[in-house]
Amino acid sequence: MSSLELYSPTDLSDALHFIEREDKNVAVIASGTDLMPRMRKRQISPSVLLDISSFREDFRFIRQSEGAVHLGALTTVSDLLESPIFYGRLSVIREAAMLFGAPQIRNVATVGGNVCSAASSEDLIPVFMALGAEARLVSARGDRIVPLKDFVVGKRATVMRPSEILSEIVFAPPGGNSWTAYEKLGRRNMLIVAMVNEALVLTLEDDLSTIRSASLALNRVSGKVPALAPKTAQFLAGKKVDDATISRAQKVLASELSLSDDFRGSGAYRTEIAQVYLKRLIERCSQRLGGPS
Amino acid sequence: MSEQVSELLDSLRAKAERGDLLYIGESVVRVDSLEKVLGSPVYTADLIPKGTVYAKLFHSSVPHGIIKRMELGQARSCPGVLGILTPKDIPGLNESSAVLPDRQLYADPVVRSTGDILGAVVAETYPAASDAAARIKVDYDPLPAIFDPLDALKPDAIRIHQKGNIARQMKIRKGDVEEGFSRSDVILERTYRTQFQDAVPLEPEVGLAIPEDGGVRVIGSMQSPHHTQAAVAKVLKLPPEKVHVIQAVTGGAFGPKSDETPFDVCSTAALAAVKYRRPVYCGLDREDSMVMHTKRHPFVITHKTGVTSDGMLVADESRLVGDTGAYASLGVFVIVRATFHTVGAYEIPNVKADSFLVYTDNTYSGSLRGFGGPQAIFAIESQMEELARKLGMDPLEFRLRNMLVPGKKSATSAVMDGSCGLPQCVEKVVASSNYREKAARYRNQNGNLRRGLGIALLMHGNSLGPEGNDYGAVHIEVLSDGTISVGSGLTEYGTGAMSGIMQVASSVLGVPLSRFKLERPDTSKHRESGPTVASRVVVIGGNASKQAAEKLRGRILPLAAELLKTDDKRVTMVDGMAFDRRKPSAKVEWDTIVAEAYRRGVGLKEEGFFMAPPAPWDQEVGQGTPYVQYTWGALIVEVELDMSTGYYTLVGAHAAYDVGKAVNPNGVLGQIYGGTVQGLGYAMMEELLHKDGAVVNPNLGDYYIPTSMDIPREFKAFIVEVPGPLGPFGAKIIAEPPIVLPGAAVRNAVLNASGVSVDDLPVTSEKVLMGMKLRQAPRTH
Amino acid sequence: MKRLITLNVNGTDHPINVDVTVRLIDVLRDQLGARSVKEGCSTGDCGICAVLVDGKLVNSCLMLAGQCDGRRVTTLEGLLDDPEMKRMQGSFIANNAAQCGFCTPAMLMASWDLARRASSPTDEEIKVAISGILCRCTGYYQIIDSIHQGCKGTRR
Repeated sequence: MSSLELYSPTDLSDALHFIEREDKNVAVIASGTDLMPRMRKRQISPSVLLDISSFREDFRFIRQSEGAVHLGALTTVSDLLESPIFYGRLSVIREAAMLFGAPQIRNVATVGGNVCSAASSEDLIPVFMALGAEARLVSARGDRIVPLKDFVVGKRATVMRPSEILSEIVFAPPGGNSWTAYEKLGRRNMLIVAMVNEALVLTLEDDLSTIRSASLALNRVSGKVPALAPKTAQFLAGKKVDDATISRAQKVLASELSLSDDFRGSGAYRTEIAQVYLKRLIERCSQRLGGPS
Repeated sequence: MSEQVSELLDSLRAKAERGDLLYIGESVVRVDSLEKVLGSPVYTADLIPKGTVYAKLFHSSVPHGIIKRMELGQARSCPGVLGILTPKDIPGLNESSAVLPDRQLYADPVVRSTGDILGAVVAETYPAASDAAARIKVDYDPLPAIFDPLDALKPDAIRIHQKGNIARQMKIRKGDVEEGFSRSDVILERTYRTQFQDAVPLEPEVGLAIPEDGGVRVIGSMQSPHHTQAAVAKVLKLPPEKVHVIQAVTGGAFGPKSDETPFDVCSTAALAAVKYRRPVYCGLDREDSMVMHTKRHPFVITHKTGVTSDGMLVADESRLVGDTGAYASLGVFVIVRATFHTVGAYEIPNVKADSFLVYTDNTYSGSLRGFGGPQAIFAIESQMEELARKLGMDPLEFRLRNMLVPGKKSATSAVMDGSCGLPQCVEKVVASSNYREKAARYRNQNGNLRRGLGIALLMHGNSLGPEGNDYGAVHIEVLSDGTISVGSGLTEYGTGAMSGIMQVASSVLGVPLSRFKLERPDTSKHRESGPTVASRVVVIGGNASKQAAEKLRGRILPLAAELLKTDDKRVTMVDGMAFDRRKPSAKVEWDTIVAEAYRRGVGLKEEGFFMAPPAPWDQEVGQGTPYVQYTWGALIVEVELDMSTGYYTLVGAHAAYDVGKAVNPNGVLGQIYGGTVQGLGYAMMEELLHKDGAVVNPNLGDYYIPTSMDIPREFKAFIVEVPGPLGPFGAKIIAEPPIVLPGAAVRNAVLNASGVSVDDLPVTSEKVLMGMKLRQAPRTH
Repeated sequence: MKRLITLNVNGTDHPINVDVTVRLIDVLRDQLGARSVKEGCSTGDCGICAVLVDGKLVNSCLMLAGQCDGRRVTTLEGLLDDPEMKRMQGSFIANNAAQCGFCTPAMLMASWDLARRASSPTDEEIKVAISGILCRCTGYYQIIDSIHQGCKGTRR
């Protein structure tokens, strides 16, 4: 670690040119809440840390424009909690933020950091995935937008190229007949790496008793990778909101999940919980919309 | 006489009437509170002088094997490295063991766990030492490893130590269990398992050694400075006087800091200090601490219990197997305490127990608050719950029918005397928790959220009991400015016990605690007083302190009497003033008396010494009086459980402990809250896991202890006072007892809420839900 | 690799040349003498290294000093004369909130921070405010009582 270099660029353009030409092993650091413990445990050994924390003013924002919510990559979890917009249909973001870590972590952990680490321990990823969010990736050669569902490709693996930095997360807030909900389970009440964390965006038809569409994401769907559960979502589309639907949807989810055991809990238990939460999330969303509970 | 003076004298007089109980039972401010809220630099890491170098211990990467070769070259040539300590660098004995001589400082050539220390890198900075340590490569000839203590007992098991895998065995033979079973209407046999718990003192183990005067001065975080001194002296081949050990303010201990790790850390620092002629800091980071220090012994305990159909216990046969890992450490006494407490707070006429302390290749276990009690009580209290269910009896009624009260006999046939305050404790918690009404209501629940109550009762033998001579010394010296300086080899590490024994002295001398000062335990100044363990400070240290104070009062009173021109017998000391009871307007202040003493050359330094009476017991049959007194207690926990997930939260905890006499009630409550929450962690969420002998979760992100969000929503704690024969003013110990009951109380509450019996700790939501699925219990899904 | 940073600690600017691998906690403790900041886990899980950085409570063991150029850090040492901190400390003493004392500075920082924002916090608000700081000795109850009393406004 003593040969580690730290580069704090003056602006984004400077940063992008740096990583474009740098051939050493570069890791981007914002808050360090994920990176620092992993370096300490010698799980990773970057040669250079690219410090983007000073881009605070450029990358730290919560904006609503033209019907889309833009979260700058350096928006902290505390910023999400303090924002007036994450209520009602967007309450899922607040719900996840409230159960995220502890105050000291929330004050520095960033949206970008969460998403880029692509780990099943990162609470915000399923929420953003369920919302159909996209990641804007910037590089010296241009920008591109990647839907979050395509962004994470494996355990702690993303489609990001070494020359790219994530600048913002964008999503359209769910519309009139939509509601969102979130659940998390761990070994204790707070400061936990979740065993299961699950987010749902449910949209009902105008009759408020039939599901138009659903978007479901979990911290682990197959292996240890956060992802959408599209089969379950697809099953729900067009079905009536009732016990029979929920019961069958739970079975679809169980078949869609392929969860392994680890020291926090078994795959079988996590699968059970995911199913229980599915029912809760559907019922909660439906009830808030004035539909059946 | 003016009104103010008259009021003052009235209040003095009123206080004087309390006699010896002046200040006892008052929640006075602890002597060491101020430095803690000021964040004063008084812990070992705050005392590092300029020029200090750093030692980082490195440990085995295999659970059982023989070291073939250690590749140190790469590490040695890392920048900043001064050298690497290995067994070759030990001038004395390569030993670091607390009881049995079964453990080396640096394992060589046999390693028996991944926690075995192999040596230390010494470098200019901690990161340099750490980086270098990561570059050390060791080749081993692996040996077959054992991780299950039951496997270690098999006849064909590989011997982990030459003398075999059983480090200690114990027996209890009371009455005739076979006869008892033949008379029993119901017999129940079940096996219970407990897990590795880590103490998690927030300050890990650290030591600082400074070469001095042909020897070395050692400052560290520890529970037993004299034991550390002896250990370091042995390693360095120095006479003990040349190893000067001082206990720095210690950030929590809970047991492991009275076992080998302070020896390891301080011996290493001392070796390096002498070798390199520099001050050396050897500190464990959290991961090292969790891998290398002692844990709570996991136990496998089987009970076969016979009971009559009207709920009287007739016979109990238990088998206890404790996994002590690679080395016995204090396990040799943990097994003893566990065995003596195998039937808990109940009278059973026929008791048979066989217990085994067994070696495995897991990391080793030793002292941890409760010391065998939590494991033994988890098993018996779970068994009691299962028996009640089988009998169709209310769990409280069943316990009341069988619990120890004055006149009844323990498992060792000791007769409980009038100092048994168990019934009072039970009464308090039953009333506080509204048990009877709730238990009836909770018998019929539908819905997804269900509540349950769980009870556990405590009997906890006080102090070292049968572990050896139980003694302590305290000296008190009055300084020329009137400060009362108290010193002892007994240590403070958060319990407030040392402040408590000073409060005892304060009571005897009639001077407020604010005039007292606690000396840092120092082997060059204070007499060896045994280890500060077993919650023994209030009882052993308290008596010694009382004695020293009484001797001092014997010198002060005559002097005060002279100054007051009256007779000794008419003098009372209160609030730092001596006055003539018959002429209260005549008073003289403490500082004046002290000044006079100094003027006259009257010595104001006294030592008190106390040794507990022996605790005789017959080793062949485990009968006798292994403890001179007991602390009693009761805990009722109420949970609210989500039947769909198995997850539960703590609605309430109601605890009562008979502490004989609460010297400082706020302090006693602090121990009850803190110990209970640590026990709740053990019950609900804590487990240090090994996989193929390697610790899986040696960090606080993967090993969970309770946060402020996990504590019971409501916690009602009660102090019961039934004076005991041993401690000052009848005091009994309190530091360990509160950690003992939560395991079973939570387990039983969860059973009553969900119908699921979880027989292995911790009681996780997964075990509850999977238990429900196995039973196909009805649940709302 | 070294970097020259200016760190404002407790109101004083400190220009220091730090190795980029050094954490904020190391600079505070080893170079600037703020030894109230404790290290308990090194992985950001126990919170006893918590300090205020630009007014926000953070774990100093997770921050690289090299990222802190121009930041304002407050430790307990900087608040010893602050009347609200003194009130909080007095409350901690009176309510036996400090046993071994190792978590106490961090608890005081979190409490002081809470008191600035909430003059009569609820039990829940207090528990959340200290939820990221582990205490092994007290079981939290006497700390919570202390914070109630130490905040502006009356005790519940």
